[in-house]
Amino acid sequence: MFRDTSRSRLVLGVLLALSLTLLVLDERDDANPVSGTARAVGAAVFEPISAAVTLASRPISDGYRALAAAPGAQRRIAELEARNAELTRELESVDADAARSRELADLLHLAGLGRYEVVAAHAVTRMTAQGFSDTATLDVGRRDGVTADMTVVNGDGLVGRVVRTTERTSTVLLVTDGASSVGARLEGSKEIGVISGGTHGIADTAPLRLELLDGTATVRKGERVVTLGSHGGAPYVPGVPIGTVRHVEDTPGALTRTARVAPAVDLSRLDVVGVVVAPPETDPRDSVLPPKPDPRAQAEQRHNGRPDRGRKTAPKHDGAEDPADPRHPDGAVARGKASTSAGQVAPARPAEPAPRAPGGGGGPPSGGQSRPPAPADPPAAEPAAPADTGGVAGPAGAEPGDLANPPRRPPRPPERG
Amino acid sequence: MIRRTLAAVLVAVAVLLQTVVVNRLPMPWGVGPDLALLTVVAVAMRTTAVTGAVAGFLGGLAIDILPPADHELGRYALVLCLAGYLAGALRDPISRAGGLWPFGVAALATAGVSLGFAGVGVVLGDPRVTLGGVLGVLPPTLLLTMVVSPFVLYPVFWMLRRTERDDFRAVGATPWANGGIVR
Repeated sequence: MFRDTSRSRLVLGVLLALSLTLLVLDERDDANPVSGTARAVGAAVFEPISAAVTLASRPISDGYRALAAAPGAQRRIAELEARNAELTRELESVDADAARSRELADLLHLAGLGRYEVVAAHAVTRMTAQGFSDTATLDVGRRDGVTADMTVVNGDGLVGRVVRTTERTSTVLLVTDGASSVGARLEGSKEIGVISGGTHGIADTAPLRLELLDGTATVRKGERVVTLGSHGGAPYVPGVPIGTVRHVEDTPGALTRTARVAPAVDLSRLDVVGVVVAPPETDPRDSVLPPKPDPRAQAEQRHNGRPDRGRKTAPKHDGAEDPADPRHPDGAVARGKASTSAGQVAPARPAEPAPRAPGGGGGPPSGGQSRPPAPADPPAAEPAAPADTGGVAGPAGAEPGDLANPPRRPPRPPERG
Repeated sequence: MIRRTLAAVLVAVAVLLQTVVVNRLPMPWGVGPDLALLTVVAVAMRTTAVTGAVAGFLGGLAIDILPPADHELGRYALVLCLAGYLAGALRDPISRAGGLWPFGVAALATAGVSLGFAGVGVVLGDPRVTLGGVLGVLPPTLLLTMVVSPFVLYPVFWMLRRTERDDFRAVGATPWANGGIVR
Protein backbone atom coordinates (compact mmCIF):
# COMPACT_ATOMS: atom_id res chain seq x y z
CA MET A 1 0.00 0.00 0.00
CA PHE A 2 2.49 2.59 1.07
CA ARG A 3 4.82 2.35 -1.86
CA ASP A 4 8.17 3.58 -0.82
CA THR A 5 11.54 2.18 -1.44
CA SER A 6 14.87 2.76 0.16
CA ARG A 7 15.76 4.95 -2.78
CA SER A 8 12.80 7.14 -2.39
CA ARG A 9 13.39 7.45 1.31
CA LEU A 10 16.93 8.46 0.62
CA VAL A 11 15.79 11.11 -1.81
CA LEU A 12 13.25 12.35 0.70
CA GLY A 13 15.83 12.43 3.41
CA VAL A 14 18.25 14.41 1.25
CA LEU A 15 15.59 16.88 0.26
CA LEU A 16 14.40 17.36 3.82
CA ALA A 17 17.93 17.83 4.98
CA LEU A 18 18.47 20.36 2.27
CA SER A 19 15.34 22.21 3.27
CA LEU A 20 16.32 22.24 6.89
CA THR A 21 19.78 23.42 6.02
CA LEU A 22 18.38 26.28 4.03
CA LEU A 23 15.93 27.00 6.80
CA VAL A 24 18.57 27.14 9.44
CA LEU A 25 20.91 29.12 7.23
CA ASP A 26 18.27 31.67 6.46
CA GLU A 27 17.00 31.77 10.00
CA ARG A 28 20.32 33.06 11.21
CA ASP A 29 20.56 36.77 11.23
CA ASP A 30 23.88 37.17 9.49
CA ALA A 31 23.66 37.60 5.75
CA ASN A 32 24.68 34.41 3.98
CA PRO A 33 25.46 34.15 0.31
CA VAL A 34 23.06 31.26 -0.37
CA SER A 35 19.79 32.86 0.56
CA GLY A 36 20.87 36.28 -0.67
CA THR A 37 21.77 34.94 -4.09
CA ALA A 38 18.65 32.82 -4.23
CA ARG A 39 16.42 35.75 -3.43
CA ALA A 40 18.22 37.95 -5.93
CA VAL A 41 17.70 35.35 -8.64
CA GLY A 42 14.06 34.99 -7.62
CA ALA A 43 13.51 38.70 -7.81
CA ALA A 44 15.24 38.88 -11.18
CA VAL A 45 12.94 36.17 -12.51
CA PHE A 46 9.85 37.50 -10.88
CA GLU A 47 10.02 41.14 -11.77
CA PRO A 48 9.71 41.03 -15.56
CA ILE A 49 7.01 38.40 -15.42
CA SER A 50 5.12 40.32 -12.80
CA ALA A 51 5.41 43.53 -14.77
CA ALA A 52 4.12 41.82 -17.89
CA VAL A 53 1.21 40.33 -16.00
CA THR A 54 0.46 43.68 -14.46
CA LEU A 55 0.38 45.26 -17.88
CA ALA A 56 -1.77 42.53 -19.35
CA SER A 57 -4.17 42.26 -16.46
CA ARG A 58 -4.79 45.89 -15.76
CA PRO A 59 -8.21 45.98 -17.46
CA ILE A 60 -9.15 42.75 -15.76
CA SER A 61 -8.03 43.88 -12.35
CA ASP A 62 -9.71 47.23 -12.79
CA GLY A 63 -12.92 45.49 -13.73
CA TYR A 64 -12.56 43.16 -10.79
CA ARG A 65 -12.02 46.06 -8.47
CA ALA A 66 -15.05 47.86 -9.84
CA LEU A 67 -17.14 44.73 -9.39
CA ALA A 68 -15.86 44.19 -5.88
CA ALA A 69 -16.69 47.78 -5.03
CA ALA A 70 -20.09 47.66 -6.74
CA PRO A 71 -22.27 46.99 -3.67
CA GLY A 72 -20.89 49.96 -1.80
CA ALA A 73 -20.60 52.13 -4.89
CA GLN A 74 -24.25 53.11 -5.08
CA ARG A 75 -24.30 54.12 -1.46
CA ARG A 76 -21.03 55.96 -1.92
CA ILE A 77 -22.33 57.79 -4.97
CA ALA A 78 -25.48 58.81 -3.14
CA GLU A 79 -23.40 59.92 -0.19
CA LEU A 80 -21.10 62.00 -2.37
CA GLU A 81 -23.97 63.52 -4.26
CA ALA A 82 -25.65 64.55 -1.04
CA ARG A 83 -22.39 66.00 0.22
CA ASN A 84 -21.85 67.79 -3.05
CA ALA A 85 -25.30 69.33 -2.95
CA GLU A 86 -24.74 70.39 0.63
CA LEU A 87 -21.44 72.03 -0.17
CA THR A 88 -22.87 73.78 -3.22
CA ARG A 89 -25.67 75.10 -1.07
CA GLU A 90 -23.22 76.28 1.55
CA LEU A 91 -21.15 77.99 -1.08
CA GLU A 92 -24.15 79.76 -2.50
CA SER A 93 -25.25 80.87 0.92
CA VAL A 94 -21.74 82.12 1.58
CA ASP A 95 -21.95 84.18 -1.59
CA ALA A 96 -25.33 85.50 -0.59
CA ASP A 97 -24.06 86.25 2.91
CA ALA A 98 -21.09 88.12 1.53
CA ALA A 99 -23.30 90.19 -0.75
CA ARG A 100 -25.69 90.92 2.10
CA SER A 101 -22.83 91.84 4.37
CA ARG A 102 -21.53 94.22 1.76
CA GLU A 103 -24.93 95.83 1.40
CA LEU A 104 -25.28 96.16 5.14
CA ALA A 105 -21.87 97.75 5.34
CA ASP A 106 -22.87 100.22 2.64
CA LEU A 107 -26.07 100.95 4.45
CA LEU A 108 -24.23 101.45 7.70
CA HIS A 109 -21.79 103.74 5.96
CA LEU A 110 -24.56 105.84 4.49
CA ALA A 111 -26.45 105.93 7.72
CA GLY A 112 -23.30 106.94 9.51
CA LEU A 113 -22.53 109.69 7.04
CA GLY A 114 -26.02 111.07 7.28
CA ARG A 115 -26.46 110.30 10.98
CA TYR A 116 -29.67 108.53 10.25
CA GLU A 117 -30.88 105.93 12.64
CA VAL A 118 -31.87 102.97 10.55
CA VAL A 119 -33.51 99.64 11.05
CA ALA A 120 -31.99 97.14 8.68
CA ALA A 121 -34.53 95.22 6.68
CA HIS A 122 -34.66 92.74 3.91
CA ALA A 123 -36.74 93.41 0.84
CA VAL A 124 -38.88 90.32 0.80
CA THR A 125 -40.84 90.80 -2.34
CA ARG A 126 -40.89 93.21 -5.13
CA MET A 127 -44.56 93.32 -5.84
CA THR A 128 -45.66 95.05 -8.94
CA ALA A 129 -49.32 94.24 -8.99
CA GLN A 130 -50.37 94.35 -12.59
CA GLY A 131 -47.17 96.26 -13.11
CA PHE A 132 -48.71 99.57 -12.13
CA SER A 133 -47.22 100.19 -8.75
CA ASP A 134 -43.62 100.03 -7.73
CA THR A 135 -43.71 98.71 -4.23
CA ALA A 136 -41.67 96.36 -2.19
CA THR A 137 -42.34 94.51 1.01
CA LEU A 138 -39.87 94.59 3.86
CA ASP A 139 -39.56 92.09 6.63
CA VAL A 140 -39.80 94.68 9.37
CA GLY A 141 -42.99 96.13 10.74
CA ARG A 142 -44.53 97.90 13.68
CA ARG A 143 -42.85 95.43 15.96
CA ASP A 144 -39.52 96.90 14.87
CA GLY A 145 -40.63 100.46 15.29
CA VAL A 146 -41.42 101.08 11.67
CA THR A 147 -44.42 103.25 10.97
CA ALA A 148 -45.84 104.77 7.86
CA ASP A 149 -44.05 107.72 6.25
CA MET A 150 -40.60 106.65 7.11
CA THR A 151 -37.76 106.99 4.64
CA VAL A 152 -36.27 103.80 3.25
CA VAL A 153 -32.68 103.88 2.06
CA ASN A 154 -30.04 101.41 1.12
CA GLY A 155 -26.30 101.77 0.76
CA ASP A 156 -26.63 103.70 -2.47
CA GLY A 157 -29.38 106.12 -1.63
CA LEU A 158 -33.08 106.62 -1.47
CA VAL A 159 -35.34 103.64 -2.00
CA GLY A 160 -38.70 105.08 -1.10
CA ARG A 161 -40.96 105.54 1.85
CA VAL A 162 -43.05 103.30 4.00
CA VAL A 163 -46.70 103.62 3.15
CA ARG A 164 -48.22 100.83 5.16
CA THR A 165 -47.09 98.66 8.00
CA THR A 166 -48.32 95.52 9.60
CA GLU A 167 -47.02 93.91 12.71
CA ARG A 168 -44.14 92.24 10.91
CA THR A 169 -44.01 93.66 7.42
CA SER A 170 -44.14 96.99 5.78
CA THR A 171 -44.82 98.17 2.28
CA VAL A 172 -42.49 100.59 0.62
CA LEU A 173 -43.55 102.93 -2.13
CA LEU A 174 -40.46 103.02 -4.28
CA VAL A 175 -39.18 106.31 -5.53
CA THR A 176 -39.93 105.25 -9.10
CA ASP A 177 -43.61 104.71 -8.42
CA GLY A 178 -45.96 106.97 -10.28
CA ALA A 179 -47.52 108.14 -7.06
CA SER A 180 -44.24 109.08 -5.48
CA SER A 181 -42.90 112.57 -5.34
CA VAL A 182 -39.93 113.61 -3.29
CA GLY A 183 -38.68 117.03 -2.44
CA ALA A 184 -35.21 117.24 -3.93
CA ARG A 185 -32.22 119.46 -4.06
CA LEU A 186 -29.39 119.52 -6.53
CA GLU A 187 -26.00 118.68 -5.20
CA GLY A 188 -23.87 121.65 -4.40
CA SER A 189 -26.24 124.21 -5.83
CA LYS A 190 -29.35 124.63 -3.85
CA GLU A 191 -31.82 124.27 -6.61
CA ILE A 192 -34.96 122.84 -5.19
CA GLY A 193 -37.35 120.68 -7.02
CA VAL A 194 -39.52 117.65 -6.93
CA ILE A 195 -38.54 114.18 -8.02
CA SER A 196 -41.45 112.14 -9.19
CA GLY A 197 -41.71 108.69 -10.57
CA GLY A 198 -44.01 107.93 -13.36
CA THR A 199 -44.37 105.98 -16.50
CA HIS A 200 -41.25 104.22 -17.40
CA GLY A 201 -40.21 102.02 -20.23
CA ILE A 202 -38.74 98.63 -19.78
CA ALA A 203 -35.16 99.67 -20.38
CA ASP A 204 -35.53 103.18 -19.10
CA THR A 205 -32.39 104.05 -17.20
CA ALA A 206 -33.71 107.39 -16.02
CA PRO A 207 -37.23 106.81 -14.86
CA LEU A 208 -37.33 109.70 -12.45
CA ARG A 209 -38.43 113.14 -13.39
CA LEU A 210 -36.91 116.14 -11.69
CA GLU A 211 -38.94 119.28 -11.80
CA LEU A 212 -37.01 122.31 -10.65
CA LEU A 213 -39.15 125.01 -9.26
CA ASP A 214 -36.94 127.66 -10.81
CA GLY A 215 -37.60 127.76 -14.51
CA THR A 216 -34.31 129.46 -15.22
CA ALA A 217 -32.15 127.23 -13.12
CA THR A 218 -29.10 125.70 -14.67
CA VAL A 219 -29.05 121.97 -14.54
CA ARG A 220 -26.31 119.95 -16.06
CA LYS A 221 -26.08 116.36 -16.96
CA GLY A 222 -24.30 114.40 -14.26
CA GLU A 223 -25.45 116.58 -11.43
CA ARG A 224 -26.69 114.65 -8.50
CA VAL A 225 -29.80 115.03 -6.48
CA VAL A 226 -30.37 114.54 -2.78
CA THR A 227 -33.55 114.67 -0.77
CA LEU A 228 -34.49 118.02 0.53
CA GLY A 229 -36.03 116.69 3.67
CA SER A 230 -39.51 117.06 4.99
CA HIS A 231 -40.83 118.60 8.12
CA GLY A 232 -39.96 116.39 11.04
CA GLY A 233 -38.13 114.00 8.79
CA ALA A 234 -41.30 112.39 7.49
CA PRO A 235 -41.80 111.06 4.97
CA TYR A 236 -38.32 111.93 3.71
CA VAL A 237 -35.24 112.74 5.71
CA PRO A 238 -32.83 115.25 4.17
CA GLY A 239 -29.62 114.50 2.41
CA VAL A 240 -30.26 111.05 0.99
CA PRO A 241 -28.91 110.63 -2.54
CA ILE A 242 -31.70 110.12 -5.02
CA GLY A 243 -29.98 109.94 -8.35
CA THR A 244 -28.05 111.53 -11.15
CA VAL A 245 -29.34 113.84 -13.85
CA ARG A 246 -29.25 112.00 -17.15
CA HIS A 247 -30.53 114.64 -19.44
CA VAL A 248 -32.16 118.00 -19.18
CA GLU A 249 -35.35 118.57 -21.06
CA ASP A 250 -35.53 121.69 -23.09
CA THR A 251 -38.77 123.33 -22.12
CA PRO A 252 -38.68 126.92 -23.27
CA GLY A 253 -41.30 129.09 -21.73
CA ALA A 254 -42.23 126.63 -19.04
CA LEU A 255 -42.46 127.74 -15.48
CA THR A 256 -40.39 124.85 -14.28
CA ARG A 257 -37.36 123.11 -15.54
CA THR A 258 -37.41 119.36 -15.90
CA ALA A 259 -34.74 116.74 -16.14
CA ARG A 260 -34.65 112.98 -16.22
CA VAL A 261 -32.87 111.42 -13.31
CA ALA A 262 -31.47 107.91 -12.96
CA PRO A 263 -31.99 106.60 -9.47
CA ALA A 264 -28.92 106.02 -7.37
CA VAL A 265 -30.36 102.73 -6.17
CA ASP A 266 -30.71 99.76 -8.42
CA LEU A 267 -34.32 99.18 -7.55
CA SER A 268 -34.58 95.98 -9.51
CA ARG A 269 -32.00 94.38 -7.28
CA LEU A 270 -33.22 95.49 -3.94
CA ASP A 271 -32.00 93.40 -1.05
CA VAL A 272 -30.83 94.94 2.19
CA VAL A 273 -32.42 98.27 2.95
CA GLY A 274 -32.73 100.44 5.99
CA VAL A 275 -35.76 102.19 7.35
CA VAL A 276 -34.82 105.52 8.84
CA VAL A 277 -36.59 105.49 12.15
CA ALA A 278 -34.99 108.70 13.36
CA PRO A 279 -34.00 111.57 11.11
CA PRO A 280 -30.61 113.21 11.51
CA GLU A 281 -30.40 116.05 13.89
CA THR A 282 -28.99 118.24 11.19
CA ASP A 283 -29.28 118.20 7.45
CA PRO A 284 -26.38 116.12 6.16
CA ARG A 285 -26.52 118.08 2.88
CA ASP A 286 -24.34 116.47 0.25
CA SER A 287 -22.11 114.56 2.60
CA VAL A 288 -23.91 111.31 1.92
CA LEU A 289 -23.25 111.49 -1.80
CA PRO A 290 -20.42 109.22 -2.85
CA PRO A 291 -17.42 110.87 -4.48
CA LYS A 292 -17.87 111.53 -8.15
CA PRO A 293 -16.49 108.78 -10.30
CA ASP A 294 -15.19 111.20 -12.92
CA PRO A 295 -11.42 111.58 -12.39
CA ARG A 296 -11.50 115.22 -13.45
CA ALA A 297 -14.24 115.93 -11.01
CA GLN A 298 -12.42 114.00 -8.34
CA ALA A 299 -9.31 116.06 -8.81
CA GLU A 300 -11.47 119.13 -8.56
CA GLN A 301 -13.03 117.90 -5.38
CA ARG A 302 -9.66 117.26 -3.88
CA HIS A 303 -8.72 120.77 -4.76
CA ASN A 304 -11.86 122.12 -3.19
CA GLY A 305 -11.40 120.08 -0.10
CA ARG A 306 -14.45 118.02 -0.83
CA PRO A 307 -13.24 114.81 0.83
CA ASP A 308 -12.71 116.82 3.96
CA ARG A 309 -16.29 117.81 3.90
CA GLY A 310 -17.30 114.22 3.79
CA ARG A 311 -15.21 113.38 6.80
CA LYS A 312 -15.96 116.35 8.95
CA THR A 313 -19.65 115.97 8.88
CA ALA A 314 -20.30 116.89 12.43
CA PRO A 315 -18.13 119.99 12.73
CA LYS A 316 -19.53 121.26 9.51
CA HIS A 317 -23.07 121.15 10.72
CA ASP A 318 -22.23 122.61 14.00
CA GLY A 319 -20.56 125.40 12.17
CA ALA A 320 -23.52 125.85 9.93
CA GLU A 321 -25.99 126.28 12.71
CA ASP A 322 -24.45 127.67 15.78
CA PRO A 323 -21.21 129.57 15.47
CA ALA A 324 -22.32 131.56 12.50
CA ASP A 325 -24.89 133.38 14.54
CA PRO A 326 -22.78 134.65 17.41
CA ARG A 327 -19.88 135.56 15.20
CA HIS A 328 -21.94 137.28 12.56
CA PRO A 329 -25.13 138.82 13.76
CA ASP A 330 -25.76 139.89 10.24
CA GLY A 331 -25.90 136.31 9.16
CA ALA A 332 -28.55 135.64 11.74
CA VAL A 333 -30.52 138.58 10.55
CA ALA A 334 -30.16 137.55 6.97
CA ARG A 335 -31.26 134.03 7.67
CA GLY A 336 -34.17 135.18 9.68
CA LYS A 337 -35.22 137.32 6.84
CA ALA A 338 -34.75 134.58 4.37
CA SER A 339 -36.96 132.25 6.26
CA THR A 340 -39.63 134.71 7.13
CA SER A 341 -39.99 136.84 4.09
CA ALA A 342 -38.85 135.84 0.69
CA GLY A 343 -39.15 139.28 -0.66
CA GLN A 344 -36.47 140.59 1.62
CA VAL A 345 -33.98 138.01 0.76
CA ALA A 346 -32.76 139.74 -2.31
CA PRO A 347 -31.62 142.92 -0.63
CA ALA A 348 -30.30 141.05 2.35
CA ARG A 349 -28.03 138.73 0.45
CA PRO A 350 -25.77 141.15 -1.30
CA ALA A 351 -25.01 142.59 2.09
CA GLU A 352 -23.93 139.30 3.46
CA PRO A 353 -20.62 138.69 1.75
CA ALA A 354 -18.94 141.66 3.31
CA PRO A 355 -19.28 140.71 6.96
CA ARG A 356 -19.11 136.98 6.42
CA ALA A 357 -16.14 136.87 4.15
CA PRO A 358 -13.47 137.11 6.87
CA GLY A 359 -15.08 134.41 8.96
CA GLY A 360 -15.61 132.21 5.99
CA GLY A 361 -16.71 129.26 8.09
CA GLY A 362 -20.43 129.77 8.09
CA GLY A 363 -21.46 127.58 5.22
CA PRO A 364 -21.44 123.89 4.79
CA PRO A 365 -18.71 123.92 2.15
CA SER A 366 -16.18 124.68 4.80
CA GLY A 367 -13.47 124.11 2.28
CA GLY A 368 -14.51 127.55 1.15
CA GLN A 369 -11.60 129.20 2.85
CA SER A 370 -9.63 128.75 -0.28
CA ARG A 371 -12.36 130.08 -2.49
CA PRO A 372 -13.41 133.59 -3.28
CA PRO A 373 -15.83 134.61 -0.60
CA ALA A 374 -18.35 136.34 -2.80
CA PRO A 375 -19.50 133.34 -4.80
CA ALA A 376 -19.14 130.98 -1.94
CA ASP A 377 -21.22 132.66 0.63
CA PRO A 378 -24.65 133.02 -0.84
CA PRO A 379 -24.88 129.31 -1.44
CA ALA A 380 -23.66 128.81 2.05
CA ALA A 381 -26.37 130.89 3.53
CA GLU A 382 -29.17 129.68 1.40
CA PRO A 383 -29.35 126.00 2.19
CA ALA A 384 -29.22 126.78 5.83
CA ALA A 385 -32.59 128.35 5.54
CA PRO A 386 -34.56 125.28 4.52
CA ALA A 387 -32.69 123.19 7.02
CA ASP A 388 -33.53 125.50 9.82
CA THR A 389 -37.08 126.11 8.94
CA GLY A 390 -37.90 122.50 8.33
CA GLY A 391 -38.18 120.34 5.30
CA VAL A 392 -41.64 120.90 3.94
CA ALA A 393 -41.53 124.58 4.47
CA GLY A 394 -38.18 124.71 2.78
CA PRO A 395 -39.08 124.55 -0.86
CA ALA A 396 -41.95 126.94 -0.48
CA GLY A 397 -39.89 129.43 1.41
CA ALA A 398 -36.80 129.20 -0.69
CA GLU A 399 -38.29 129.09 -4.11
CA PRO A 400 -39.28 132.73 -4.31
CA GLY A 401 -35.88 133.62 -3.07
CA ASP A 402 -34.30 131.73 -5.90
CA LEU A 403 -36.61 133.26 -8.39
CA ALA A 404 -36.03 136.66 -7.01
CA ASN A 405 -32.32 136.37 -7.08
CA PRO A 406 -31.21 135.58 -10.59
CA PRO A 407 -27.97 137.57 -10.41
CA ARG A 408 -26.78 135.15 -7.80
CA ARG A 409 -26.57 132.41 -10.35
CA PRO A 410 -23.69 133.51 -12.56
CA PRO A 411 -21.10 133.18 -9.82
CA ARG A 412 -22.03 129.57 -9.35
CA PRO A 413 -20.13 128.09 -12.25
CA PRO A 414 -16.81 129.25 -10.85
CA GLU A 415 -17.77 127.63 -7.62
CA ARG A 416 -18.26 124.34 -9.35
CA GLY A 417 -15.23 124.88 -11.48
CA MET B 1 11.87 11.17 -18.44
CA ILE B 2 9.22 12.91 -20.42
CA ARG B 3 6.86 12.72 -17.46
CA ARG B 4 9.40 14.29 -15.18
CA THR B 5 9.96 17.08 -17.65
CA LEU B 6 6.22 17.60 -17.93
CA ALA B 7 5.91 17.51 -14.15
CA ALA B 8 8.63 20.12 -13.85
CA VAL B 9 6.93 22.34 -16.40
CA LEU B 10 3.58 21.93 -14.67
CA VAL B 11 5.00 22.81 -11.29
CA ALA B 12 6.87 25.77 -12.72
CA VAL B 13 3.75 27.07 -14.39
CA ALA B 14 1.75 26.56 -11.21
CA VAL B 15 4.33 28.38 -9.11
CA LEU B 16 4.40 31.29 -11.52
CA LEU B 17 0.61 31.44 -11.65
CA GLN B 18 0.51 31.30 -7.89
CA THR B 19 2.99 34.08 -7.30
CA VAL B 20 2.22 36.32 -10.22
CA VAL B 21 -1.53 36.00 -10.65
CA VAL B 22 -3.22 34.44 -7.65
CA ASN B 23 -1.24 36.35 -5.06
CA ARG B 24 -2.26 39.66 -6.58
CA LEU B 25 -5.95 38.90 -6.65
CA PRO B 26 -7.82 40.92 -4.04
CA MET B 27 -9.12 37.92 -2.15
CA PRO B 28 -11.70 38.44 0.57
CA TRP B 29 -9.83 36.92 3.53
CA GLY B 30 -6.33 37.72 2.45
CA VAL B 31 -5.61 34.17 1.40
CA GLY B 32 -5.89 32.42 -1.92
CA PRO B 33 -6.07 28.96 -3.39
CA ASP B 34 -2.75 27.14 -3.32
CA LEU B 35 -2.18 26.18 -6.94
CA ALA B 36 1.40 25.04 -6.37
CA LEU B 37 0.33 22.64 -3.67
CA LEU B 38 -2.46 21.24 -5.83
CA THR B 39 -0.13 20.75 -8.76
CA VAL B 40 2.53 19.06 -6.65
CA VAL B 41 -0.05 16.74 -5.11
CA ALA B 42 -1.59 15.97 -8.49
CA VAL B 43 1.81 15.25 -10.03
CA ALA B 44 2.74 13.09 -7.08
CA MET B 45 -0.47 11.11 -7.25
CA ARG B 46 0.22 10.17 -10.85
CA THR B 47 3.98 9.63 -10.56
CA THR B 48 6.28 8.29 -7.91
CA ALA B 49 7.08 9.44 -4.43
CA VAL B 50 10.51 10.57 -5.53
CA THR B 51 9.08 12.73 -8.31
CA GLY B 52 6.54 14.12 -5.88
CA ALA B 53 9.18 14.89 -3.31
CA VAL B 54 11.48 16.58 -5.82
CA ALA B 55 8.58 18.51 -7.39
CA GLY B 56 7.42 19.63 -3.94
CA PHE B 57 10.91 20.62 -2.91
CA LEU B 58 11.61 22.62 -6.04
CA GLY B 59 8.17 24.21 -6.19
CA GLY B 60 8.29 25.11 -2.52
CA LEU B 61 11.77 26.48 -2.87
CA ALA B 62 10.65 28.61 -5.81
CA ILE B 63 7.82 29.99 -3.73
CA ASP B 64 10.25 30.60 -0.89
CA ILE B 65 12.45 32.58 -3.21
CA LEU B 66 9.95 34.55 -5.27
CA PRO B 67 9.37 38.01 -3.90
CA PRO B 68 6.00 37.99 -2.16
CA ALA B 69 7.46 35.47 0.28
CA ASP B 70 8.61 36.79 3.58
CA HIS B 71 9.58 33.61 5.32
CA GLU B 72 12.77 31.65 5.70
CA LEU B 73 14.17 29.91 2.66
CA GLY B 74 13.27 26.22 2.67
CA ARG B 75 10.28 26.46 4.97
CA TYR B 76 7.68 25.89 2.31
CA ALA B 77 10.04 23.58 0.42
CA LEU B 78 10.28 21.32 3.46
CA VAL B 79 6.53 21.07 3.89
CA LEU B 80 5.72 20.68 0.21
CA CYS B 81 8.45 18.11 -0.21
CA LEU B 82 6.87 16.00 2.51
CA ALA B 83 3.40 16.48 1.02
CA GLY B 84 4.60 15.44 -2.43
CA TYR B 85 6.40 12.43 -1.05
CA LEU B 86 3.39 11.21 0.90
CA ALA B 87 0.98 11.78 -1.97
CA GLY B 88 3.31 9.92 -4.29
CA ALA B 89 3.71 7.09 -1.84
CA LEU B 90 -0.06 6.76 -1.66
CA ARG B 91 -0.31 6.58 -5.44
CA ASP B 92 -1.51 3.02 -5.80
CA PRO B 93 -4.41 3.00 -3.34
CA ILE B 94 -5.56 6.36 -4.69
CA SER B 95 -5.55 5.30 -8.29
CA ARG B 96 -7.27 2.10 -7.32
CA ALA B 97 -9.95 3.84 -5.29
CA GLY B 98 -10.56 6.43 -7.99
CA GLY B 99 -13.59 8.68 -7.76
CA LEU B 100 -13.30 11.53 -5.37
CA TRP B 101 -10.33 10.18 -3.43
CA PRO B 102 -7.83 12.53 -5.08
CA PHE B 103 -9.84 15.44 -3.66
CA GLY B 104 -9.70 13.96 -0.22
CA VAL B 105 -5.96 13.64 -0.52
CA ALA B 106 -5.70 17.19 -1.84
CA ALA B 107 -7.78 18.47 1.08
CA LEU B 108 -5.66 16.55 3.56
CA ALA B 109 -2.51 17.84 1.89
CA THR B 110 -3.79 21.41 2.01
CA ALA B 111 -4.63 21.21 5.67
CA GLY B 112 -1.43 19.38 6.43
CA VAL B 113 0.75 21.84 4.55
CA SER B 114 -0.94 24.77 6.19
CA LEU B 115 -0.50 23.30 9.65
CA GLY B 116 3.02 22.11 8.83
CA PHE B 117 4.02 25.52 7.61
CA ALA B 118 2.63 27.06 10.78
CA GLY B 119 4.35 24.36 12.83
CA VAL B 120 7.73 25.13 11.31
CA GLY B 121 7.02 28.77 12.04
CA VAL B 122 6.33 27.91 15.67
CA VAL B 123 9.55 25.95 15.86
CA LEU B 124 11.46 28.86 14.36
CA GLY B 125 9.75 31.35 16.65
CA ASP B 126 7.87 33.22 13.95
CA PRO B 127 5.86 35.81 15.90
CA ARG B 128 3.18 35.92 13.21
CA VAL B 129 2.09 32.34 13.81
CA THR B 130 -0.58 32.26 16.47
CA LEU B 131 -3.44 29.93 17.12
CA GLY B 132 -5.95 32.57 16.09
CA GLY B 133 -3.99 33.26 12.95
CA VAL B 134 -3.87 29.61 11.98
CA LEU B 135 -7.58 29.15 12.66
CA GLY B 136 -8.32 32.22 10.62
CA VAL B 137 -6.18 31.20 7.68
CA LEU B 138 -6.77 27.48 7.45
CA PRO B 139 -10.53 27.32 6.67
CA PRO B 140 -10.56 29.87 3.84
CA THR B 141 -7.41 28.42 2.36
CA LEU B 142 -8.91 24.95 2.45
CA LEU B 143 -12.19 26.17 0.98
CA LEU B 144 -10.62 28.15 -1.87
CA THR B 145 -8.12 25.45 -2.67
CA MET B 146 -10.83 22.81 -2.83
CA VAL B 147 -12.96 25.07 -5.00
CA VAL B 148 -10.23 25.37 -7.62
CA SER B 149 -8.89 21.85 -7.17
CA PRO B 150 -10.94 20.26 -10.01
CA PHE B 151 -9.52 22.77 -12.41
CA VAL B 152 -5.99 21.84 -11.39
CA LEU B 153 -6.21 18.13 -10.63
CA TYR B 154 -8.09 17.00 -13.71
CA PRO B 155 -5.93 18.84 -16.28
CA VAL B 156 -2.78 17.62 -14.57
CA PHE B 157 -4.10 14.05 -14.44
CA TRP B 158 -5.14 14.27 -18.04
CA MET B 159 -1.77 15.55 -19.23
CA LEU B 160 0.12 12.97 -17.24
CA ARG B 161 -2.13 10.21 -18.54
CA ARG B 162 -1.32 11.31 -22.06
CA THR B 163 2.36 10.66 -21.39
CA GLU B 164 1.43 7.40 -19.69
CA ARG B 165 -0.48 6.34 -22.77
CA ASP B 166 2.47 7.25 -24.89
CA ASP B 167 4.50 4.84 -22.86
CA PHE B 168 2.12 1.97 -23.31
CA ARG B 169 0.29 2.91 -26.47
CA ALA B 170 1.85 0.17 -28.55
CA VAL B 171 0.79 -2.35 -25.94
CA GLY B 172 -2.64 -0.88 -25.19
CA ALA B 173 -3.59 -0.63 -28.86
CA THR B 174 -3.02 -4.30 -29.64
CA PRO B 175 -6.09 -6.52 -29.50
CA TRP B 176 -4.33 -9.11 -27.43
CA ALA B 177 -3.28 -6.81 -24.73
CA ASN B 178 -6.44 -7.37 -22.79
CA GLY B 179 -6.60 -11.04 -23.56
CA GLY B 180 -8.68 -10.67 -26.68
CA ILE B 181 -11.77 -9.78 -24.71
CA VAL B 182 -13.76 -7.12 -26.48
CA ARG B 183 -15.35 -4.75 -24.00
